[in-house]
Amino acid sequence: MISVADLLLKNRIPGNCFATGTYVRGDIEMGLLENQQGDRLLALPETLIQAIYAGLDKETGQAARLVLMNCGRWWGKNFYTRFCEQLTLYYDQAPADMPMVEFMQAIEQCWIAHGWGKIEMDQTYQNRGFLVINIRNSIFARHAPKTNQPACYLEAGILAAFFSQLTGRELDCLQTTCESMGADCNRFIIGLPKRLQPAEVMIGKMEHEAILQRLCQ
Amino acid sequence: MNPKVASILENADLRHLKPEELAAMSQYVNSMPARLEAYRSLREHELEIMQWVAEQLQAEMPVEPVENLERSIKNALLMLRCCAMAMLLNDESFVHTRLVTWLAPRVTAYNSQNIDSTLYGLMNHRLNQVLGSDRMAVLTPLLTYAQTALPTAQPTAAVEGEVAIGW
Repeated sequence: MISVADLLLKNRIPGNCFATGTYVRGDIEMGLLENQQGDRLLALPETLIQAIYAGLDKETGQAARLVLMNCGRWWGKNFYTRFCEQLTLYYDQAPADMPMVEFMQAIEQCWIAHGWGKIEMDQTYQNRGFLVINIRNSIFARHAPKTNQPACYLEAGILAAFFSQLTGRELDCLQTTCESMGADCNRFIIGLPKRLQPAEVMIGKMEHEAILQRLCQ
Repeated sequence: MNPKVASILENADLRHLKPEELAAMSQYVNSMPARLEAYRSLREHELEIMQWVAEQLQAEMPVEPVENLERSIKNALLMLRCCAMAMLLNDESFVHTRLVTWLAPRVTAYNSQNIDSTLYGLMNHRLNQVLGSDRMAVLTPLLTYAQTALPTAQPTAAVEGEVAIGW
């Protein structure tokens, strides 16, 4: 027989860990932002994001994309740790024990709560070893320099590190479409570096689906 | 705080409230005792109501895996608590932002509409029996809103919730 009392977790029913309106808390007097667990949050003004792009381009030129990718990897690694801590604390369950659908929903809600846009996971190619991530309304794409190449290297680094931590395998991430180039969303392919490598030369020359088809051949 | 009341208080800077603003405030305050009473009663009887619902649900859907029934019961408890809070706040948008936007994709992903439909029927019935029509008058609009805003029973592709983290 189902016992309703046993379904409660410390007399509560966990809902959305990253509920908009309750996740971010601010103290105007102290000028601090923190989440509901008390972890400090950092607000990134648009001007700063623009300045990071401009400064890196001036200082490092072509290497800017590598710098952003590595910064993203560092960010993603720490973000994964914090994300898992928050989920464990809130749901009283290790993320590895969570059903995939709920873990993915938590990532989606987390992305929204942090103002990074709307993230969706497409698992169509998962059995072929690739995970596709779509991000819409990305602040990093909006202020990226307009070139003929996708520009969200920071997010690519975050995603590569996040899913590397999640899976315990060293993964890479390639962006195939970018809002800064007029695409409807930013599409990323995550997979093993060796399997993704052939796609690097296809970026900007082939459509997202065509790249995936080629990778899966 | 109810967003309408909060907005009135924020905008009434150094002026008297307009008649329509005062009417909105009166409506909010006058209905508060009834809402508090319904909340107290629900808080007191929640476990008993939901335990009855769980037993009836299990009897009506004996072949359904317990895991699926428990997931739907947990979601219904969340709905009940969220609607109770929205009832206190007298704010339907609370149900939308805190429950529907989060729960709707989950209902679709688990394809739990059939269980949920039976569960809602049992829950509404039992709530009416235990809380009575007066208390339910303030809770029902929110429950109805939540139950109709969530995906209803339709054949959709099921995504089973097995642990699938891995590569």
